[in-house]
Amino acid sequence: MYSILLVCSGGMSTSLLVTKMEKAAEEQGIEVKVKAIAETDLQNNLDGVQAVLLGPQVRYMLTKIKAATEPKGIPVDVISSVDYGMMKGENVLKQAISMIESK
Amino acid sequence: MRKIDEVYRAALKLQEVNPLGVSAMEVAKMIKLDRSNVSRYLNTLYKDNKLMKIDGRPVLYKPISFQSLNEDIKEYNLNSLDKLAGAKQSLSVPIEKAKAAIIYPPKGLHSLILGSTGVGKSLFAEQMYEYAKEINILSPDSPFIRFNCADYADNPNLLTSQIFGVKKGAYTGADRDKEGLLKQANKGILFLDEVHRLSPQGQEMLFTYIDKGFYRPLGETENLTYVDVRIIAATTENPSSYLLQTFSRRIPMVISLPDLSERTLSERYSLVETFVKEESHRIGKSIYINKNSIISFLLYNCSNNIGQLKSDIQLACAKAFLNYKANDQKYLVINQRDLPNHVRKGMLHIKEYRKEIDELLNSAEDILKYSKDDEPFLQLVHEEEIIGEDFYSIIEEKIDSLKVLGMEDNDINEILNLDIESHFEKYIGEISKRFRKDEIQNIVDNQILDITEEILMLGKTNLNRDFDEKIYFGLALHLERSIERIKKGDKIYNPKLNFIRINYEDEFLFAMKIAKLIDNRFSIEIPVDEIGYLSMFFTKESSQVQKEKIPQIGIIVAMHGRSTASSMAEVVNDLIGIEYIVPIDMPLSMKPESIYNIVKEKVKDIDKGYGVILMVDMGSLTNFGAMISEETGINIGTIDMVSTLSVLEVARKAMMNYEINEIIHSIYSGPSIHNMKVDKKGKKNIILTACYTGDGSAKIIGNIINKRIQNKNIEVKYINIVDERNLKDRISEIKEDYNIWAIVSMIDCNIESIPFISALELFNKDGENILDKIIQYGEICDKISDSMEENLININGKKVLDHTRNIIIRAEKELKLEIPCEVKIGLTLHICSLIDNLVSRGNSKKFPELVDFMNNNMEDINIVRKLFKDIEEEYKVKLRDDDIAFIVKSLKGNQILCNTVQ
Repeated sequence: MYSILLVCSGGMSTSLLVTKMEKAAEEQGIEVKVKAIAETDLQNNLDGVQAVLLGPQVRYMLTKIKAATEPKGIPVDVISSVDYGMMKGENVLKQAISMIESK
Repeated sequence: MRKIDEVYRAALKLQEVNPLGVSAMEVAKMIKLDRSNVSRYLNTLYKDNKLMKIDGRPVLYKPISFQSLNEDIKEYNLNSLDKLAGAKQSLSVPIEKAKAAIIYPPKGLHSLILGSTGVGKSLFAEQMYEYAKEINILSPDSPFIRFNCADYADNPNLLTSQIFGVKKGAYTGADRDKEGLLKQANKGILFLDEVHRLSPQGQEMLFTYIDKGFYRPLGETENLTYVDVRIIAATTENPSSYLLQTFSRRIPMVISLPDLSERTLSERYSLVETFVKEESHRIGKSIYINKNSIISFLLYNCSNNIGQLKSDIQLACAKAFLNYKANDQKYLVINQRDLPNHVRKGMLHIKEYRKEIDELLNSAEDILKYSKDDEPFLQLVHEEEIIGEDFYSIIEEKIDSLKVLGMEDNDINEILNLDIESHFEKYIGEISKRFRKDEIQNIVDNQILDITEEILMLGKTNLNRDFDEKIYFGLALHLERSIERIKKGDKIYNPKLNFIRINYEDEFLFAMKIAKLIDNRFSIEIPVDEIGYLSMFFTKESSQVQKEKIPQIGIIVAMHGRSTASSMAEVVNDLIGIEYIVPIDMPLSMKPESIYNIVKEKVKDIDKGYGVILMVDMGSLTNFGAMISEETGINIGTIDMVSTLSVLEVARKAMMNYEINEIIHSIYSGPSIHNMKVDKKGKKNIILTACYTGDGSAKIIGNIINKRIQNKNIEVKYINIVDERNLKDRISEIKEDYNIWAIVSMIDCNIESIPFISALELFNKDGENILDKIIQYGEICDKISDSMEENLININGKKVLDHTRNIIIRAEKELKLEIPCEVKIGLTLHICSLIDNLVSRGNSKKFPELVDFMNNNMEDINIVRKLFKDIEEEYKVKLRDDDIAFIVKSLKGNQILCNTVQ
């Protein structure tokens, strides 16, 4: 069971991606928990999270979030813009898993 | 009648046919008398100074002068109308009709004179008036009032009030009662020239008068005014036009005057003779003219008819007079070199007319003399003098003053020659300009046309350069647009300003001058950037380039009726200055199959691979386009319900190199586009390049861009922004068929919905970078558009994506920052989802510490809010402050700090 957190401005665009990722996981028989939040809610949602992915538009927060999560051993990255734009849940899921695995 | 009188009368009659003189044999034949007797009588008449003798074989006799002829004519009951050149030939029917119209009991008939420019309609009307007096139908002091409806055509109220009079307060500006011309012409004749210029209201009033004999002045509600006036109306309009059909129903007597080209050579000869005599009388010197010059005058292509013939003769006389004076010659002789060029070309036709010319001039000497004592035959009573009476004395004065300055004769000659020519050119120009002005005033405000005319006149003298009609047209359109912009306070920016200033110094100085003129006239202040644009109209290049441009699309106008299409095409071709529109007339009697074949052949004939536009009126013609297109494979766009204005519009657009589908779209949004399949689903991506003067810089820019976009799914299209007025419309038309990623141009076209790249930026190193980024971003947007379509619930994904992309590019530019492509994609998605969410009235997150953030970023927030205005309207949503703050934060937080923007 992977636990992934998606962050973007106001949680507006990532919620769609959540559905896509869940669907991709189901097809592959992977158990996963994906949650989309606004950047402001980050601190309250870090418990048990294994990877944090940022929407490209909030890329500027990468350093700040890294500072908050790295001590807890949680990897952070920005979602590839093409995958994000095309809502490729499958690819984003792959990206998240490889982040967790290669930790 | 005495025998000698009979001979004299016969000589006079024959003289009309043989203006050069008559032989004894001819007279003898006519009155069936022995030739030697006739010869004796002729000799007596010669001794009595009634005839002059021209030695030769055979000896010819001529009436001694027109003065004496006039007296004698009265004796023999020749009247004003019969004196007109060609009265017994091509004018015989018109003259019969005119007489009937005058005599017809009880009060004569109103008449309508038809004929092209310069055939002599005014003179004819005046002779009708003279005739009416001669036969005591009108009293000798009865009025003849002449009015040209074109003079006031731009102000229908004023025009109508001139004719019918006006009550005080009938319209703004009518500050007192005024009697109309119709009243002034009571008991006489009112001659309405160019009557087709009358407003519909004016026509209605005129018809009422014609039908019932009374009218009401403008603003008069109670009293009817009764007058007894014969109307003679005249028009150049084609008789099949709608107006004229109405007219000829109301006006029973329609008199058509023939074109000069339809008249016989001998008629033309007597015209030439009359005009030369007139000049000789005016100068007070006998004029000698060589035979070849006469032949040239007889044969050259004189499209503006008698009016032109006359002014060409006057020009030749003026030049000859100059030579005579400047070189102290003994005689005033008109030689070939005194003739305007186009007249001289008349000699080229001598082969075709050799026989007729020989018959006409055979007995003439090599040099013909016109005596100063010859009275002019007929003269227009109210003629507007082309050359004032004193024109010749002006020449004399100038010669004297130049001689005092010690100038060489040759130089004097040259200087004055220029003077004379420009004097006439001005006159000739005015004819065509007036005509043109009437037509384009549908499109451009009259005040602007006036000033355009003034500007080009000034330009001609100041820059010593000719400006053709197209510049007139283009400048007028441009001025209208830019004056409007300046009034609105819109900024005008000209990136090429310095370049123009340096490279077109003269033009720029001239533009400054006229800018002042325009400023005063329109109470505006033209910014220097605009002066730069104005300068470009006066460059040599612009006049040349525009002249040579021949559109690539063919245009055919096919209409029912014997000459409807031709006359429409004629008007438009005149207006655009090239023979471009091809007319096909179809008499109703023609069978559809044969019409079809004619149209098909014409289409094949004129297609240059860019397709043909078929403009038709109705019926089976509307289907031809599709059929021919299928048969020949040529792209054909059909436009039906054609009108002069729509033909003009199409021609103009074609000349600006619009494509067929663009033109069709703009004129007519019906389904008549054949073989022009536009796949709406897979819209092509394009980058537009635009330039100002023509297709020069747009193509250069296009080439640069083409190098960057090889192997990509993008095309470059050129457009022309000379016609700025329609630019927005045009772009929205293009948008229907294409995704426009950007416009690249020297000048910001102010199209808000499309990102603009300044061509200057493109020429910089960074410019390519900017372009690359737009392309890169565009390509990704292309990729994600399907998923947007699929994932957005409430709105059309592709459309909102387009909108959003544009907002982001513009935000980047206006906030003066640069953000990485991936951030743009993220933002794009964010904004699309946001709009989707707002449409469904969903909630969104609060922006932390909103007030602080807004206070610190007031300016940027305002800019971004403005960019969303369009999209807010389109989707009827309102972005909250939090939403804007998130976007601004994303934009600013992610900017690249290392580049140009720091």
